[in-house]
Amino acid sequence: MVSINTTRKGASTNPFSKLLRSTGNWLPPFLGVGSFLLVWQILSMTGLIALPAPTSLFTEERTRNLIFYPFYDRGGLDKGLFWQTMASLGRVAQGYTLAALVGIGVGITIGLKPGINRAFDPLFQFLRMVAPLAWVPIALVLFQKNQPAAIFVIFITAVWPILINTAEGVRQIPQDYRNVALVLQMSSRRFFTKVLIPSALPYIFTGLRISIGLAWLAIIAAEIVMPGTVGIGFFIWDAYQQNYVGEIVLGVIWIGAIGLVLDRLMAWLQTRISAGQ
Amino acid sequence: MTTISSPSLVDVRAIDKSFALKGGGTYLALKGIDLEIRKGEFISLIGHSGCGKSTLLNMIAGLDLPSEGTVLLEGEAVKRPGPDKMVVFQNYSLLPWLTVRENIGLAVDEVMGDLSKAERDAVVQEHIEMVGLGPAVDKLPQQLSGGMRQRVSIARALAIRPKLLLLDEPFGALDALTRGNLQEKLMQICNENALTAVMVTHDVDEAVLLSDRIVMLTNGPGSKIGGILEVDIPRPRARLEVVHHPSYYSLRSEIIYFLNRQKRVKQWRARPHQVVARHGLEKVNLDLGFLPLAASAPLAVAEAHGLFTKHGLDEVSLIRETSWRGIVDGLVDGTLDASLMPAGMPTWMTAGGHGDAPLPIVTSLTLSRNGNGITLGRRLAEQGVRTVEDYRAYLKSHEREPHTMGIVHEASMHNLLLRYWLAANGIDPDKDVHLQALPPAQMLADLKDGSIDGYCVGAPWLDRAIRDGHGIAVAGDLAIWPGHPGKVLGLREDWAIAYPNTHIALTKALLEACQYCADPAHWAELSNLLSDRRYLGIKPELIRFSEASADVDRGGPESEGATPHHLFFGEGLNRPSRTEHLWMMTQMARWGEIPLPRNWVEILERVCQVGVFSTAARELGLEAISYQRQGIHLFDGQPFNADDPISYLNAQTIKRDFSVAEIPLAPPRRS
Repeated sequence: MVSINTTRKGASTNPFSKLLRSTGNWLPPFLGVGSFLLVWQILSMTGLIALPAPTSLFTEERTRNLIFYPFYDRGGLDKGLFWQTMASLGRVAQGYTLAALVGIGVGITIGLKPGINRAFDPLFQFLRMVAPLAWVPIALVLFQKNQPAAIFVIFITAVWPILINTAEGVRQIPQDYRNVALVLQMSSRRFFTKVLIPSALPYIFTGLRISIGLAWLAIIAAEIVMPGTVGIGFFIWDAYQQNYVGEIVLGVIWIGAIGLVLDRLMAWLQTRISAGQ
Repeated sequence: MTTISSPSLVDVRAIDKSFALKGGGTYLALKGIDLEIRKGEFISLIGHSGCGKSTLLNMIAGLDLPSEGTVLLEGEAVKRPGPDKMVVFQNYSLLPWLTVRENIGLAVDEVMGDLSKAERDAVVQEHIEMVGLGPAVDKLPQQLSGGMRQRVSIARALAIRPKLLLLDEPFGALDALTRGNLQEKLMQICNENALTAVMVTHDVDEAVLLSDRIVMLTNGPGSKIGGILEVDIPRPRARLEVVHHPSYYSLRSEIIYFLNRQKRVKQWRARPHQVVARHGLEKVNLDLGFLPLAASAPLAVAEAHGLFTKHGLDEVSLIRETSWRGIVDGLVDGTLDASLMPAGMPTWMTAGGHGDAPLPIVTSLTLSRNGNGITLGRRLAEQGVRTVEDYRAYLKSHEREPHTMGIVHEASMHNLLLRYWLAANGIDPDKDVHLQALPPAQMLADLKDGSIDGYCVGAPWLDRAIRDGHGIAVAGDLAIWPGHPGKVLGLREDWAIAYPNTHIALTKALLEACQYCADPAHWAELSNLLSDRRYLGIKPELIRFSEASADVDRGGPESEGATPHHLFFGEGLNRPSRTEHLWMMTQMARWGEIPLPRNWVEILERVCQVGVFSTAARELGLEAISYQRQGIHLFDGQPFNADDPISYLNAQTIKRDFSVAEIPLAPPRRS
C-alpha cells in the first residue's frame, strides 16, 4: 500500500508528466485550428484562393483598425464593430423576446389542449421549414420598414423551437404530478406556477437555446438585404459591395464568436435552471 | 376495531370497467364489483398484476370513472377526485422542485385555505414531526431516500385530513427493512387517527399485517372479487408478533392458495381447449389432477407405461396440485377432467360439503386402500405417551393447553379414521383436541416445533417423522380398519355423461395400472418412478408400499417379501362400494361436515358408477375382481348397518348435532 502511494505521489508531482497529461486537453484543438489556419495561409499566399490570408487581417490597415478600435463612432454607418454588434443584438433581443413570449404562451396552450394542437400542428410544422432568408421579402412587404421587418424575421425564425419544445414540455408533465393536482383540486393559477412551469422548464430552455442560435443566424440574413441600417450583417454586405474582402472575413469571424458566446450563455443558464430542479 | 354496525363510508356498487383497445373493441377489466367499506376500516386489495386492483382504487379516488355502477362516498356519488379521498401514490409523486415543507405546504395551503398562515404552518410542522422528518424539512425530494420520500407522501396525505386514505402499492419500491418500519408507522398512524384506508398491494404479509379485511381479486378479463378475508388478529399489531397468531398462517396460505389458483386458471386459459375426439372416444385430451402421494402411483404408472395411450387416451396430462382444495376448485371450474381424490370426496362434494351448490361427483374406481397412520410427536413420546390410553390421560392432565392434530382434508379417510379412532377411545375429536387441515409438508414442520400433537396422513409423510425421529406411530390404519378405501378416481357427473366411452377407457387404463402397482416386484421401480420431480420429487427410499414394522429396515430398499401395506388391486378392492361410501357419508354427517342426505340412496346410486367399473373390468378380462366387498369391520367391532344410517348415528355417544336433509340434486345431464 505504502509503496504504491509513494509512486503515485511521485508521478503526480512530476511537472513533466503533468504537462504531458494536460496536453491531452489543449493539444488537439490547438493543432486542429493551427493547421486549418496554416493551410489557409498557404493557399492564400500561393494565390490558389482569392481570400486574404489570416495574417493579412493584421497587416492590412482597415482590418487592423477594426480589430483594435471596436468602439469608434464616426456617425452614419461608419461605426466600430462593437457598435455594429450592439445594433444587431438589440434587434435580436427584441425579436427573440417576442418569440419567447409568443412561443411559450402558444406552446403551453397547445400543450394543454390536444384539440388546438391537432388543428395547428400541420401549419406550425410547415412554417418551421421556411428558411429565414425567404421571410425577408415577405417581412418587407408586410411592414414596409427595415427595422420592424428585421425584428419580424428574427421572431418568425426563433419562435418555432420555443413553441414546439414548450408544448412538448407541457405534454410531458408526468401523470403523477397531474394526479396530485387533481386530487388536491388545485386552482389553475397554482397548477400553473407550482406544477406546469417548473415541470416544463427544462423543455422550454432547450427551445430557448436552439432559438438563440437561430435568431443570430437570422439577423445576418435580415440585415444583408436591408440597406442603410447599422448592424453586423449589413457591415459584411457593405464590405462585399466595396470589395473589402478582409473586412468580410473579419465580420464572419466576429459573428461566429458572438454566436458561440450567446449559445454558451444559454447553456450556462440551462444548467443553472436544471440544477435547481 | 370495527363493528358490523358502523356505517359504511364507501359503497362500491356493481362496478364494471372497460377500456377501449387501440385496435378497436374493448377490454373488460372489472366486472360486477360490490364492496362496502366501513368507517375506520383498513382494506387491502390483492391480486395478480393486471387484475385491475389499481383501477378499482382509482375509481374510488375519482381519478377514473366506472363504465357501469357507482362509487358512493358517504352516500354521494364520486364523480371527480378530491382531497377528501387522498391518494398516496406508488412513486410518491412529490414535486421535485419543492422541499419537504413546501410539498406538504402546497397541499395544506390548497385544501385548508380558510386557516391562517400560522395555523397552516403548524399543521405542516405537526405532520412532518408525525412521520419523523424534522431534520429533512428543507431538503428536496431527490436528496431523500425512497422510504423518506414515501413518508413525505404519507404526511402530505394525512395533513389534509382526508375522510379516506387510498394507498397504491405504497411500499412496493422499498427495501424490506424500510418497508417493515413504514408499515408499522402507517399502522400506528391509522390506529391513532381512526383512519379509513384502502391499500393496493401484492405483498401477502403486508396485507395480513395491516388489514381488517383483505379483498382478493381474480384475474382479468372481467376481474371480480374472488373472496374477502376477515383478519381477526387483534390490534395493536406488531410486525414481529403477528406471525405467532394462530390465524396468521392460515390467512397467509389462504391468500397464497388464491393467487396460485388464479395463476393456474390463467395458464389453463392460455392453452387451447377443444375437445379432441379420436379412436371412438369422445375426448382423448384429459387433464388429470393428483397430489404428490404414494397413492398416486397408478396415475404415474399409467403415464410412464403408456397405459393411457394403450386405451386410446393419447393426450393425458397429469396436473400436480398442492392441496385437495386445488382439486376441488379444479373440478368445480372445469380446469380438471378427472382427479385422484380422497375416498370421501365424491359424496362430500355431491352433498355440497365444499360450500358451494352440491356438485354431483362420480367414482368408478377405488385406486388405493390403506397407506395411512396416526403419528404422535416426540414431545409427547418423551412424556411417556405410547398408546391411545396414555394420550387420553395426557389430554386430561394437560386440559388447559391447546391440542391440535393435523389432517389433510375433512373429506379424506385420515380425518374420518382419526376421528373414529379418537372417539372410540373416549376422546372427543372437537372438544378434547382440535383437528386442523394442514398441507402434509407443513405438518412435519409443525410436529417438529411442537405446535401440533400429531397427525394422520398417508405415505410418504407417514414414515418421515418416524424415520427422522420426530414422532412415533401410535396406530396404523391396519389396526383401525384394514383395507379401508384410500384414494379414488373422481370426476363430474355431467362430464361422465358427456364422455361415457372416455370414462370407461380412463377406468381401464387406471385399473390396469393398479394391477401393475400391486405386484411387490414392481415396488422398487415405483419408488424410483414416483421420486421424479414430476410426481413426488423426494428420495426414492422415502416412498414405500410395504407395511411399516419394526423388523423391516425402513432405510433400505423395498424387499419383495414385505407385507403389502398399500393395496392397489385385488378381489373386491377396486370396485366402488356403496356401503363404504355410505359409511364415509355417515361419518362426515356425524362430525357435522355435511348433513346426512335424506336421499342417500339416490346419491350413492349416482356416485358409485359400478356399471362403468364392471364394463372396464370385463373388457380387461378381469371379471374376477368385480365381486362386491363384504361388510365393514373396524377395530372396535361396532357393526355398521347400511340400511339404517340414522339409527347408527343416534347410537354414537361422541358426535356433533348432525342434521338430516334432502340434498337437492338436478337430474343427471350433460353440462
